[in-house]
Amino acid sequence: MRIVIAEDAAMLRDGLRMLLTARGHDVVAAVGDGEALRAAVAEHEPDVAVVDVRMPPSHTDEGLRAAIRIRRDHPDVGVLVFSQYVETRYAAQLLAEGAHGVGYLLKERVADVADFLAALDRIADGETVLDPEVVTQIMGASRRVETLATLSSRERDVLALMAEGRSNSAIASALFLSYGSVEKHVSQIFAKLGLPPSDHDHRRVLAVLRHLQA
Amino acid sequence: MRARIRRHHEDVLRTFSGCPPWSSAAGRELVYTLILPLAVGVGLVHLVLVLFGVLTTVNLIGVPLLALSLVAARGLGTVNRRLARVLLGVPITDPAPFRPGRGLFRWIGAALTDATGWRAVAHALLRLPAAALAFAAAAGLWGGGLVLLASPLWRGWPGAALLSPAGLVLLLLAPSGLRLALAPERLLARTLLGMSANEARIRRLERARAFAADDAVARLRQVERDLHDGTSARLVTLAMTLGLAREELDLGHLERARPLVEGAHRDAKETMAELRDLIRGMLPPALDQGLETALATLAARTPMPVRLDADLPERPDPSIEAVAYFCAAELLANVVRHSGARHASADVRGRDGRLTLVVRDDGAGGAVTGAGSGLRGLAARTGAVDGTVDVRSPAGGPTVITVALPLHI
Repeated sequence: MRIVIAEDAAMLRDGLRMLLTARGHDVVAAVGDGEALRAAVAEHEPDVAVVDVRMPPSHTDEGLRAAIRIRRDHPDVGVLVFSQYVETRYAAQLLAEGAHGVGYLLKERVADVADFLAALDRIADGETVLDPEVVTQIMGASRRVETLATLSSRERDVLALMAEGRSNSAIASALFLSYGSVEKHVSQIFAKLGLPPSDHDHRRVLAVLRHLQA
Repeated sequence: MRARIRRHHEDVLRTFSGCPPWSSAAGRELVYTLILPLAVGVGLVHLVLVLFGVLTTVNLIGVPLLALSLVAARGLGTVNRRLARVLLGVPITDPAPFRPGRGLFRWIGAALTDATGWRAVAHALLRLPAAALAFAAAAGLWGGGLVLLASPLWRGWPGAALLSPAGLVLLLLAPSGLRLALAPERLLARTLLGMSANEARIRRLERARAFAADDAVARLRQVERDLHDGTSARLVTLAMTLGLAREELDLGHLERARPLVEGAHRDAKETMAELRDLIRGMLPPALDQGLETALATLAARTPMPVRLDADLPERPDPSIEAVAYFCAAELLANVVRHSGARHASADVRGRDGRLTLVVRDDGAGGAVTGAGSGLRGLAARTGAVDGTVDVRSPAGGPTVITVALPLHI
């Protein structure tokens, strides 16, 4: 996989490069700010760009804005936004352009190397990856608590995993359920939330997010 | 504060030193004195109005009249203040503008209790003898001098031969004499037309509060940034390296895991050192044991011989200790960075409710409290706790910087 890294902390940037290279990926560029990131993406058209939210010069949301531009200008490039803390507003902005090949993860997730690499693969394949923390916050912050309250606790577990972008079979193995019962839960959730069912995982995420944030 | 004292000092000097009759200051003072009768006259008319207002307050009509005349007194005060500022060169700060509440009654209430208005009225009254003195001096010295100088025109010889030189002497004395005679006018203008001591204090406190609030946010922001860009990034890297190492160990690749673990170990130690520096930068733990201990640690850490002399019979408030510590840290850092000094000393004393910190160095001098200099931040920080900073740093050195703080807030 061809990857561009944008991270202003040199130590972490080098660490990521080492990790990805060690796992057989091709880090085509590693940069330290939003401008350089967009230039690198335009030049290399990588499979995935790993983007830190906070970068110079403003040290606020440079990376996020660059990521949104990349998703608009290069729809085929997967974007993993990598952040020190969770901002649901950031996640919403990122997903507003569509949930194809996009991810939002806490930086600390990199400690579980296998999971992190799997997330990158999923993003490169056009799936959506949301940090469990993001999902928790969005569900917690939802103003439609009464709608959520109609869900059973098992259905809420399923919804949370759905929001993370997991497929039905992944949910089934995570919750030790049969594939069939997960399907049943999913259609129950859609019915209770008033959403038409869909085959595409990322559409499910988007639908769930949009619904919860309304 | 020091600037104010120095300015006053210069005033006094100017008052007593002679200056030639043709100097522009002497001319301006003469113009001021010549305008005085007009200013006094307007003031008198106004005083009558105020008096009328006071006497008629028993009727309801008097109350708004009095309020109106007090607001007018402000205007009169402004004119007098500008005259004194421009012609007498008295530095007077403008008082706070009149800010009545909404509605007629609030307006009247605000006017009646307006200290600036009442002080202007007091000025119009008290200046009467002062103005008379100045005018008499001007008439006697300038007028008398001119008349005597012109004595050949109205008196024959030999009288004129004596009177005329006497007139010249009077004219030569006139500027100093008038300056002296204007001293009460100056004093009254300064004390009654400017910002009152209370107002000045409130303004100073407002500035100090604004600084303290901004400073608190700026410091939090700095700490957040240091933690985010430094420590947190290091810990993420550390966790990532350990994650990689664990995977290698799971696969039995001992030789691949070893360098990863070694790197993680090194990272962990560096992170601890960085975190320690960060914590010390926030509030040195040694301050818990008192300013003396913290300063001793600071002096020992400064890469230059620093002689520390502390005498604090009474322990200051924690906030004062912190300000004193950060001042000392900043000043010693400046010594190391800019002065080229070979030795420095820091003295702390606590006497009569004041803490004095004196930092000296034998360096090149020339330190200034200009924009963007660390000294300015220092002055603002000490100002926030009602303290002062005094900088003596002639070119060629030595530099002596004195920070004075209250022991307790």
